[in-house]
Amino acid sequence: MTAVNSVGAARELLREFPVVDGHNDLPWALREQVRYDLDARDIATAQNAHLHTDIPRLRAGGVGAQYWSVYVRSDLPDPVPATLEQIDCVRQLLARYPRDLRPALTAADMEAARGEGRIASLMGAEGGHSIANSLGTLRALYALGVRYLTLTHNDNVAWADSATDKPGVGGLSAFGREVVREMNRLGMLVDLSHVAATTMRDALDTSAAPVIFSHSSARAICDHPRNIPDDVLERLPVNGGMAMVTFVPKFVLQAAVDWTAAADENMRAHGFHHLDTTPEAMKAHRAFEEREPRPVATVSTVADHLDHMREVAGIDHLGIGGDYDGTAFTPDGLDDVSGYPHLVAELLDRGWSRPDLAKLTWQNAVRVLGAAEDVARDLQTTRGPSNATIESLDG
Amino acid sequence: MADLQHELHPFTEAGELDDLAESLPDPFEEPYTPVTDPDGTPLERAHALLAAHPVADGYSGLPWALRHRPWYDLELGESAVDTDVPRLREGRVGALLWSLHLPEGLDGDRAVGATLEQLDLVKTVVRRHPEGLRLACTAGETTDARNCGRIAVLLGPAGAAALGDSLGILRSLSALGLRVLTLSGVSWAGEAGLTRFGEEILREMNRLGVVADLSGASEETIRRALALSRTPVVCTRSAARALRPHPANLPDDLLAELGAAKGLCMVPLTAEQTGTTVRDVADHLDRVRTLAGPQCVGLSGTFDAGTAHPQELGDASCYPNLIAELLQRDWSEPDLALLTWGNVQRVLRGADFTARAAQLRREPSTARITDLDG
Repeated sequence: MTAVNSVGAARELLREFPVVDGHNDLPWALREQVRYDLDARDIATAQNAHLHTDIPRLRAGGVGAQYWSVYVRSDLPDPVPATLEQIDCVRQLLARYPRDLRPALTAADMEAARGEGRIASLMGAEGGHSIANSLGTLRALYALGVRYLTLTHNDNVAWADSATDKPGVGGLSAFGREVVREMNRLGMLVDLSHVAATTMRDALDTSAAPVIFSHSSARAICDHPRNIPDDVLERLPVNGGMAMVTFVPKFVLQAAVDWTAAADENMRAHGFHHLDTTPEAMKAHRAFEEREPRPVATVSTVADHLDHMREVAGIDHLGIGGDYDGTAFTPDGLDDVSGYPHLVAELLDRGWSRPDLAKLTWQNAVRVLGAAEDVARDLQTTRGPSNATIESLDG
Repeated sequence: MADLQHELHPFTEAGELDDLAESLPDPFEEPYTPVTDPDGTPLERAHALLAAHPVADGYSGLPWALRHRPWYDLELGESAVDTDVPRLREGRVGALLWSLHLPEGLDGDRAVGATLEQLDLVKTVVRRHPEGLRLACTAGETTDARNCGRIAVLLGPAGAAALGDSLGILRSLSALGLRVLTLSGVSWAGEAGLTRFGEEILREMNRLGVVADLSGASEETIRRALALSRTPVVCTRSAARALRPHPANLPDDLLAELGAAKGLCMVPLTAEQTGTTVRDVADHLDRVRTLAGPQCVGLSGTFDAGTAHPQELGDASCYPNLIAELLQRDWSEPDLALLTWGNVQRVLRGADFTARAAQLRREPSTARITDLDG
């Protein structure tokens, strides 16, 4: 248990170096719960009953920058329209809450937001399906402000393998590598959360810019395909990128991994998709939970991952990606976006120095985005937009 | 600065902009200083007039024409298409609407993604030709481009199918720079006119400054849009149906209604819609001017859109031929200046002002087609 004074010290540290969080699914939650009726979920006020995220709790959690996920399900017949609606949702949030949320497209914008005491708001698209095999669509998403693309979600795309699907092209296809190169040229970060280890390695071989894991933890601590193997973590110092540790219990705690497998089975038995978060589906889930108590992850579980990741990748290559409002369950002490100080306090108790924690919470993420911008500026002097198509490269 | 304040009209109500002619100063109310030599030949005078008042062209099919070309150079000249910078300069074109319409068959399921690709293509093409072209989203940027010696490229019209029946997508496309949207070919803007959702789309377009294009729309849609829109609408490719029966051409009564609503009818230079000679096109322009008024007529080259053009109007360099013909008729210089440039500027500026005013009092609409149209 962390000492009260550690939490105080953590809060003080976060005032100077707030949290950059790599992944938050508030837009999807707003789409599913109220179909973007932002009056029905006024995040300027407490939304504890419905959401992990609202502005008061972001403030309490010491969040200084947020990559809002513009995720859409990969099983939609055409994911592009829904992605545009998600982007519109974020833009509407920015227009509604200008005193708290500041649009951010660059590392300089993030620093400006910190200076103004506002929360830098960036966008990340979660899954290559959102570009529908089109580099033109990728560029349009960039133009709309999207600053990372997770190469896959839970399912393979035609050009990249997912961690949670059967092997397809065996990592990245030729077109997949072209997607990475075009992202480098644009200055859009390559996000390797959700992708297969083969895809991680191919992307690291291809990318001229630092990559990120927007919400992934260490496979050596908890053997789940969504986590990062050590050989990939070891490559981050050379690449310059970062792994943003996620809190999702079913990825970070072995007992929770096993329990989730059983819970998913229960959902399927009741006729729901295992990621369904509608009230009816959650009811079936709760019934299961009453029979089989859910193993509880804690702040300490997450800190164990960070300790290990730090040993393998180094302090300059770590960050935080909570996946709030994208996960049904959260660890004790990290129940919602107000919880980050508890994690920082735990790390203080474990002997992490203030400069190290400043890198974890703020500096690494700003450096990585800035580095991607530098690479893009260089590449744009020698290369125009790619016209490649998946047909021309993958046959 | 005084000029700017004069133009901004901060206290104008959105609705009052319907009467733009009254509420905004008409630059041609001032004693008009002629720019042409009355003793010159019609062609010399046409060039002089266009040098001062270039063409703002309402429709170019260039994006789709370039889409599958591996290589093109619009700066030096590109013989594979009807539009390139040398010919635009020769034709005295100062601004162009680049169509994002998709060919039939592609306007179904994949329309949103295909439209994003078209938008991206336009931006890429414009960026590749910085000496000739400049992307413009507002009336002010269009004028800026012209003052910098660049041809302004505006994004649109796109087909209504590009919205995927979603106001959120409309806002995202607007954020990417879309300025004109054609209201046809979708369930909410069909033969029966605008549905409730269609009306909501139009209100949101007004809020965003996306101009409604009614060429090819049903008569019911046109009438409803004229009544509902808080800012003038355009027809990017419509001539006079009385002279030539074509579904996109407007009957006389609609031309008069369009004029009463201070809309803009942009007459295409196509054999199909306007005829095979310069005189045929001039006849259409005469009729539209008579019925709708000189403030409500414009030009639409419709080059690279896969249609045949009248003789002597075969590509973007040919506008002086048409203006020379009009000068030989009874078109005054002020009327010609409105035809080529002024009217498009008025419509864009009106849309910009209406949007700014509307955004102060109207939140983004979250209506869904299933809620409104059942």
